[in-house]
Amino acid sequence: MSAAANKKIVQHIFDAMAESNSAPLLESLADDFRFVVMGSSKWSRSYDGKAALLAELFAPLRAKIEGRITTIPVRLIAEGDTVVVQARGRNTTREGEAYNNVYCNVLRLEGGRLKEWIEYCDTALVDAVLGDPADAVAAAGSGRST
Amino acid sequence: MSAAANKKLMENIFAGIREGDRSLFIASLADDVTMTVTGQYSWSQTFRGREAVVRDLYGYVRSLLKEGRRTLPFRFIAEDDWVVVEARGNMMTKAGERYDNHYCLIYRIEDGKIREIREYQDSTLCERVLGPFPAARKQATG
Repeated sequence: MSAAANKKIVQHIFDAMAESNSAPLLESLADDFRFVVMGSSKWSRSYDGKAALLAELFAPLRAKIEGRITTIPVRLIAEGDTVVVQARGRNTTREGEAYNNVYCNVLRLEGGRLKEWIEYCDTALVDAVLGDPADAVAAAGSGRST
Repeated sequence: MSAAANKKLMENIFAGIREGDRSLFIASLADDVTMTVTGQYSWSQTFRGREAVVRDLYGYVRSLLKEGRRTLPFRFIAEDDWVVVEARGNMMTKAGERYDNHYCLIYRIEDGKIREIREYQDSTLCERVLGPFPAARKQATG
């Protein structure tokens, strides 16, 4: 597909994410999709496959963030099968702390589906505000169902 | 200039940088270039003007590192005035610690000159290995 077509797909995904809707994203993932959080934060690694993305990245993130996760696209830059998205998060933790990270996401598509998502962000902010993903899940499991 | 020409310029700049030659990079900076280190850590701010970028940011980084620091690009993505460069650092501090950061750099180019730079990097690694950016060198946050 052309860069323009890929850009349109990614714009649609991010327009929904700006409205806290991740459905178009999840519907666009290739079977062997991988999501890489770059750097050396506690969340930094490769999440290989949709199941790993949901269970190991999105689940702890949702456990930590109050309400739905919101990511607002700022600029899209596309060439060939790659679309770069500068974006800004607008979120609050369940403890009431602001979590407004900035992102540069490098997305690779194939046949209209997302194959790879490389996320660059302020990793120091990730650790300072989100802490350890295992702790986020444990805290959510221990207190909030009561 | 076209996206292809802008991309070629950045490829040429990084061909120099990967060999430690930053002369084309410096010559390609517009007088009023702005460089934003994104995020909320101690290095996050906007450096305004060529002197601020070269002296206050890169000059300070250079003072912390051994000679022979390299930044190795591995992907260029260009559209219109924008060129994105993903790169890996290959550096050593003067104290002998490795500093191999990951970078995503976004350049806006107008008439063959770099007008705007945004840097995304592993801030955890930057703070841990290079330490906090000195408060006395801070400019207005952008």
